[in-house]
Amino acid sequence: MLAVAVRIACVLGAVGATPLAAQRDSTPRDSAPRGIAIDARMAEDLGLAVGARVRISAKPGEAGDSATIAAIYERKADPAEVARREYRVRLHLDHLQQLMELDDRVDRFAVGTRDGQSIDSALARINHVAFGFRAHKSRDVAVQSSRTFRVVERFHFAIGIITVVASAVFLLCLLLLSVEERKRDIAALRLMGISRATVVRAIVIEAAIVSLIGSVIGAGIGWIASVIVNAHFQELYRTPLVFALLTPQIFAFATGLSLVLGIGSGAAAGWRLVKSSPLSLMGR
Amino acid sequence: MMAWATLRRHPARTTLAVLGIAVAAALLLDMVMLATGMSESFRSLLLTRGYQLRVSPKGTLPFDSEATIDGAGAIVRALRANPDIKAVSPTLGATLTIDGSRIPSAFTLGLERDVQGDYTLEAGSDITRADSGTTVPLPRIVASQTFLTRAGYVVGDTITISSGLNAQLRTAARSSRVVISGMGRFIYVPGETPVMALDLALLRQLLGPSYRDRMSLAMAESRRGDSASVEAVRSWIATTQPRVTAISTETAIRQVEERLSYFRQLAFVLGAISLGIGFLLVATLVTLSVNERRGEIAVLRAIGTQRLGVLHQVFLEGLLLTSAGIVGGLALGLVTAQWLNGILRDFPGLPSAFDFFVWSPNAGWRALALLLTSGTLAGLLPAWRAASIPIARALREKAIG
Amino acid sequence: MVDVSEHGAGTALETGTAGEPVIACEQVVRSYPMGSAMVQAVRGIDLRIARGEFAAITGPSGCGKSTLLHLLGAVDVPTSGRVLVNGRDTASLSDREATDFRLRHIGFVFQRFYLMPTLSASENVELPLAEAGMDKRARKARARELLGYVGLGDRLEHRPTQLSGGEQQRVAIARALSNEPALLLADEPTGELDAETGVRLLELFGRLHRDGRTLVFVTHDAVVAQAAQRVIRLHDGRVSSDSRSTIASGA
Repeated sequence: MLAVAVRIACVLGAVGATPLAAQRDSTPRDSAPRGIAIDARMAEDLGLAVGARVRISAKPGEAGDSATIAAIYERKADPAEVARREYRVRLHLDHLQQLMELDDRVDRFAVGTRDGQSIDSALARINHVAFGFRAHKSRDVAVQSSRTFRVVERFHFAIGIITVVASAVFLLCLLLLSVEERKRDIAALRLMGISRATVVRAIVIEAAIVSLIGSVIGAGIGWIASVIVNAHFQELYRTPLVFALLTPQIFAFATGLSLVLGIGSGAAAGWRLVKSSPLSLMGR
Repeated sequence: MMAWATLRRHPARTTLAVLGIAVAAALLLDMVMLATGMSESFRSLLLTRGYQLRVSPKGTLPFDSEATIDGAGAIVRALRANPDIKAVSPTLGATLTIDGSRIPSAFTLGLERDVQGDYTLEAGSDITRADSGTTVPLPRIVASQTFLTRAGYVVGDTITISSGLNAQLRTAARSSRVVISGMGRFIYVPGETPVMALDLALLRQLLGPSYRDRMSLAMAESRRGDSASVEAVRSWIATTQPRVTAISTETAIRQVEERLSYFRQLAFVLGAISLGIGFLLVATLVTLSVNERRGEIAVLRAIGTQRLGVLHQVFLEGLLLTSAGIVGGLALGLVTAQWLNGILRDFPGLPSAFDFFVWSPNAGWRALALLLTSGTLAGLLPAWRAASIPIARALREKAIG
Repeated sequence: MVDVSEHGAGTALETGTAGEPVIACEQVVRSYPMGSAMVQAVRGIDLRIARGEFAAITGPSGCGKSTLLHLLGAVDVPTSGRVLVNGRDTASLSDREATDFRLRHIGFVFQRFYLMPTLSASENVELPLAEAGMDKRARKARARELLGYVGLGDRLEHRPTQLSGGEQQRVAIARALSNEPALLLADEPTGELDAETGVRLLELFGRLHRDGRTLVFVTHDAVVAQAAQRVIRLHDGRVSSDSRSTIASGA
C-alpha cells in the first residue's frame, strides 16, 4: 500500500503563465537544448516526434528558448478535461521558472511522509507554520477534483430513475391490457374449476418470462449502444475515457429490476381480473 | 363523445396510459429544455451587461488558463479609439492572500468600476477608483456572499490583502488595508468560489511591477450591436491585435456547446426514446381497444356510420390520451427539470448564473408539437384498421365467439 | 290473402302483393375462402319480399341464414347474382353509398344487442340520427318517442348494464327504427333472451308489422319462426321451403 502523500497546495495561484508557443526550431543549434515532454494530441496535431527541436517562450513573439521533445505522453482520462482542446507541455521546474522569470516560485508541491501514520501530524505541523499557503491531504484533493465524476454520476442516476419509472408504468399498462384481452379465456378456466391462485401464477410466470427475454434483448441493445457511444466520443474528444460501460453487475441489476417489475405488474393485473366473477368476465 | 366515453370505460387502464405518457412527456420536455437551455443560458450570461466581444490571450478562452495579456494599456486605448466600439472593460484576475482570515486567499478581480461587467452590486456601495481623488481613507472592495460567509466577514469590515508572499521571511512584498464596502453577485464566477473585486490599478500595484500593464481579458461592446457589426469589430481586433484572440458571443456559445456537446447528444437520444415510449403506449392501447371492440365497431358500420366517422372516433381516443398525458407531463417536466438542473449546477467551475435546463415558451411549444405529432401518428394506424374492419366477417366472428 | 303451400328447393314464392318488392334476390351466390377451400354459404337463392311483409328465415346452424341477412342488409355483397333493396343493386354501391344506404333505408337488430355500453338508452337510439345530421333537440325528441313506442319511456337515461336483456333488445329495436327505414332486419333477436321475454319481443315485432313495417328476421328456432307471416326455410345455402306461417300474426 502506497503511503498517501500529503500535498501542499500553494495558493499563490495565477502567476500569469502564458501558454507556451511551440515553434519548430529552424535556427542553428543552441548549446544543449533542454528536454520537454508534450502530450500525444499536440504531437499528432503539430506533427512532432521525439527528438524534434522546438522553440518555447513565455510570451508570443519572444525569442524564447530552444528545446527538444524528450517524451510524448498520453493524458489521463479525466472527464473534467475531456472537452478541453488545449495542449499540455511538461518542463523541468527550473527551466519553466527561468523562462517565466519566476525566481524561486511554485504553484504547489507534494510532500511524502516516511510512513502512513505520520500524515496527520505532518499536516498539522505544516499548517501551523504555514504563511500564505495551506497543506491538504491528497485524498481530500482527489475528492474535490472528482466532483465532475460525481455530478455526472448523479445526473445519470436521476435519468435512470425517470426511465425506470416510465418503464414500470409502461410495463404495468401493457400487462394489464394483454391480460384483459384474454378475460374470456380466463373466465372459461375459472368456470372449469381452475383456482384463482393457479390463474394468477400462470400470468405471473408469463410476465416473468416476457420481462426476462425483454431485459436480455434490452441489455444486448444497450451493449451495442455503449460500443457506439464509446467509439463516437473517444473519437470526438480524442480521449481513452470510457463513457458507457455495461458490467455484469449492471446487467444483473437491470434484469433483476425488470423481473421484479414484470412479476409485480403481472400479479397486479392477474389479481385484478380473477377477483371478478367468471360470469361478469364473460360479459353477463 | 364516444371516444371520451370509451376511455372512461376502463379507468385503470386509461389512468395508467396517461401516467405513462405523462412521464414520457416530462422526459421529452426536459430534454428539449436541455438541448436549448445551455446555449440560451450562456447567451444571456454573456450579454448580461451588453458586452458582445471577449478579448483574451492568444489561443485561449476567457479565464480558461492563467495566461495574461501584456501591453494591456495600449490594447485598451486602441479599442476605445475605434468609433465602432462603445465601451471596453479590462479585467485582471489573480489570487490574493487575506491576513488573519478563515480563508487564506481569495480569487480577486481587478476592474474599472465605471465599465465593469462582472458583478451586480446587491448591498452596500461600490469599489473606489484608485485615482478617484476622493478623500476616503481606505480603498473599497466588493465581495461575494460566499467570500463573506466563508471568511467570516460582513460589509463594513476592514481587512488586509497581500501579494508576493515570502514563506521563509513570513512577509508579504505588498499589502493594502481595504474596507469591504459592498456585496455583489459575480456573474461569471462559480458560486462556491470566494471572490472579491477591487480597482484594477490597485490590484496591479499589489501584484507587483510585472503586472503593471497586464490584463486577463477585456470585454468590448459594439456600438451598433447587430451581428454584422459585432463580427466586423471582432475581425478588426483580430487583424490589428495579433497577440490576442477576440471572440463574439456566438463563437463563445459554440465553443461552450462543443465542450458540453455530450449533454446535447444525450438530450437528443433520451428525447427520441421518450417519444418512442409515448408512441408505443398510445398505439398499443388504441390497437387493443379496437381489437376488443371489433363487434361494436362492425355494428356501428352496419347501422350506417361511415368509415371516416369510425376513424375519427378511434383517432380521437389516441389524441385524447396524448393530450391528457401532455398536460400532466408538462407540469411534471418542469419539476424534474428543476431537480436535474440542481444536480448539474454542481459542476465545478461553472458560473453560478449558468443553467442547463431553461424553460422558454419555445421549448414548451417544441415539446408540445413533438408529442402531438407522435400521438397523432400513433392513433392513425389503429384508427385506419378500425375503419377497415370487414363488417360481415366481424359480425360472424362475434356471433360465434 | 294468398294461401300457398311448400315449394321445392331453390325457387321463390310470389307474395301476391302489388307493387315493387322491397327485397329482390336473383340467383344470389356467396362464397368464402376457408383455408384452402371455397365454401358456398349461399347457393343461388331467388327471393322477393314485399313492402309490409313479415318474414322469418330459418334453418339449421350453418345453412347460410345470417349470410343471407347480411346480403339483404348491404353489409355484404354477393359473389354472383343480384340483391336489390328498394330497387338498388347493393353490389353497385360503393362503401360510402352502402353505409349511407344502411343508415337511411335499413334497420339492424342483432342477437347480442350491441348497444354502446358507455351511452344511455336515449344516446344509443340517437346514434344513427346524429350520423344522419339531425340536430340535438330533434334527436332527443325522436329518441324519446321511439323508446316510448317500445315501452321504455321511463328508461331513457339508463345505461345498458342497468337494463335487462329484453329491455336492451327493445332499445336496439328503437335504434333500428330511428331513421324510419324501409326494412327492418333482425339476426336471432330472441337468441339471448329467455322464452317469456322472447315472446314479448315477438309481440313487439308483430305490432311493428301491423303498423306497416317490413320485417325480416333470422332464427334457428322453428317455433319462433312461426311468429312471422311467412317462413322461408334454408338448407345448405338454398331455399328448401317458403310458406305462410301456421300461426300468422293478426293476418
